Amino acid sequence: MDEFQAEDETTFVVEEVSKIIKESVEATIGGNTYQHNRVNQWTTNVVEQCLSQLSKLGKPFKYIVTCVIMQKNGAGLQTANACFWDNTTDGSCAVRWENKSMYCIVTVFGLAI
Amino acid sequence: MSDLLKDRALKKEKKMGKDGRPKDSISTVSNVEDPLHHDDTRLPTENTYQLGPYKRHSVPVITEILKDVLTCYLQHETYEAEWSRQMTKTLCDVIRARVKELMIPRYKTVVIVNIGQLSGQGMQISSRCLWDATNDTFATYSFKNSSLFGLAIVYVVYFE
Repeated sequence: MDEFQAEDETTFVVEEVSKIIKESVEATIGGNTYQHNRVNQWTTNVVEQCLSQLSKLGKPFKYIVTCVIMQKNGAGLQTANACFWDNTTDGSCAVRWENKSMYCIVTVFGLAI
Repeated sequence: MSDLLKDRALKKEKKMGKDGRPKDSISTVSNVEDPLHHDDTRLPTENTYQLGPYKRHSVPVITEILKDVLTCYLQHETYEAEWSRQMTKTLCDVIRARVKELMIPRYKTVVIVNIGQLSGQGMQISSRCLWDATNDTFATYSFKNSSLFGLAIVYVVYFE
């Protein structure tokens, strides 16, 4: 039994993933200022919302979603990632969002099964 | 990521929100495209009839690798923007090479390294994964000295 799927059913499409990420971030922390006692709940919400939207895409992918929320006070942050995967099917997308009081960096990795 | 891959920043969000009011946030998207590997023809692979991995990753072993690499490279350093930019990439490559040396077949690896300056700011990092919990796992290690912190996360995902 051979199943042939269309090309974009089995590759990582950056545009739709970045759209999902932006919507999740805006919905959770859009218009808020950094509050230490709420930031744990915010990161959890952003990540879980992203993940549930990604799973609704129904693609044969495993996803890893990471979110960093950092208060703006002039400190520096560097982040890098290295992946060992199949370049033709797997991909990643990073969205950097900021407002007056904080930075939010969300990265999604999609790995085909 | 290696030097072959380009980091491409796509267009910035417009300043006006959907309902016409000016937004006070901006966002940028970046993804990496490898210009060498765009093979549109995927060769069909033979069935292996293998239901699960024969050999799994051991989390303490990977944590030990992360501890070793982070302590060795960051112990006596102070935070500087240009140096830490290079160091995060170097650490990613070193950790990925050491995890590959474990030679566990059919596993994909994702390594993330964060190096940041310690200046009293608040920060939260979290992640969630949609995967098969029996076969896939992760390991993390964080290191701190007087001027910087280093965080390394490794996710290992089984390729079915």
